[in-house]
Amino acid sequence: MELLDRYLESVRKHLPWQRQDDIVAELRANLESQLDEKEEALGRPLTQAEAEAWIKQLGAPIQVAAGYQPQQYLIGPHVFPTYRYVLKLACSWAMIIYSIVAVVQVFATQNPSGTTLLDALLHLPFVLMTTAAWVTLIFAAIEYAVAQGHLRLPALCAPSPGWTPGSLPPLGQDAVTGKKPRSFAQAVAEVVFGILFLGWLLLVPKHPWLLMGPGALYLNGSPFQLADIWVPIYWCLVALNILQLGWNAQNLARGRWQKPHPAFNLVFRAVGLVPVILLINTRDHATVLLKHPAIDQASYGAALGTINLYILRSFQVIVAIVVLQLAWDLGQLGRDAYRKRAAAMR
Amino acid sequence: MTIAENLFENLRLELRRGCLTLAVLAQLREERYGYTLRKALAYDGLVIDESTLYPLLRRLEAQGMLASEWREEEKRNKRFYRLTPDGEQIFAQLLGEWQAINASVTATLNSTTDAGSGTL
Repeated sequence: MELLDRYLESVRKHLPWQRQDDIVAELRANLESQLDEKEEALGRPLTQAEAEAWIKQLGAPIQVAAGYQPQQYLIGPHVFPTYRYVLKLACSWAMIIYSIVAVVQVFATQNPSGTTLLDALLHLPFVLMTTAAWVTLIFAAIEYAVAQGHLRLPALCAPSPGWTPGSLPPLGQDAVTGKKPRSFAQAVAEVVFGILFLGWLLLVPKHPWLLMGPGALYLNGSPFQLADIWVPIYWCLVALNILQLGWNAQNLARGRWQKPHPAFNLVFRAVGLVPVILLINTRDHATVLLKHPAIDQASYGAALGTINLYILRSFQVIVAIVVLQLAWDLGQLGRDAYRKRAAAMR
Repeated sequence: MTIAENLFENLRLELRRGCLTLAVLAQLREERYGYTLRKALAYDGLVIDESTLYPLLRRLEAQGMLASEWREEEKRNKRFYRLTPDGEQIFAQLLGEWQAINASVTATLNSTTDAGSGTL
């Protein structure tokens, strides 16, 4: 039957080349037996329409041939859990490292602008895609090697072969966020050290050696002095520390030290940016001045410019890091809130 | 196809997959070639597509459960399959497993039905 020959020839094209003849011969024998039986029952050969209907019912050649292909995975179900874990880890680290490098590069340029920052941000997806592609490629190679029997990796085939019930983390973590609650001792220590730190901070203006050690003597004898902008910034820092101390103390007094409101830390860190931003926006970035500009400008003018530039750059890097950290923490806070809501709905 | 129909179809195929292997192994305690095997299964109520059965025979042979031989019958070369000794052993174990599962499911269904009629 010509239609059957054409059908089998089409199936052959999609079969593994090593077994094409064998499979087609077997298919032909089975289908011809079927055809003989049909024609015997009818008492005549099949008409063209009947033959077409019969062949159609056998399935498309590519589908029939697909059944004879070995099951193939780019990354199979045994390796996949490890692949997903490594992929998440690699992408997270790639993002962190790239962000730090990008921030340093942006602020290391002479005139950092919004465009430079935007360029760095737009490049991030490519970094993540490249990382993901490399991880996928490596795991696809592992999958291939395991499938071909060239590699035996029990650790990859079973993600935790050394797992024992004893290695499970202890109870006491928040069921929703998975974070360990703060202990009473930790909360008390925070208040006590907060008081000590505040006392130390209040003593610094009168006893600068508490901050700079022997460097205080050098500053007294040097031609440089701190600009007036440091005074409001200092009081800002004092106010922030009093605020944090008050918050920690009231949490302790009200018995809420185990789960202080997570938003407070974010607010506190965001407010902590205010003095740094004030410093960055100081007029002409002059955070350090000459004590006697008329006399020392010629000798120390260049050094003063360098000191002020370095101070500016270091505070710009601090702002960038804190902003990134805030964005990360905000994301975590959103995720925890979502989990809590989902848990409440269950 | 609706989501429910799709879900049912997936679960049905999953349920059938293991049973088909068992039925094929059971039939091949006697030597058969592809088409007669398919007819025997259909006669017993298990209709199976050519595109499913013939590749399944190849896989079972590659796994050492079946042995095959080309032989002429009614002026046509045909590939005959039958269980190997290893296949017979695994088939006996699978059959025991299937009978245990079947008994458990039947018992569960009966107890559920009894409990249901009790409350009514």
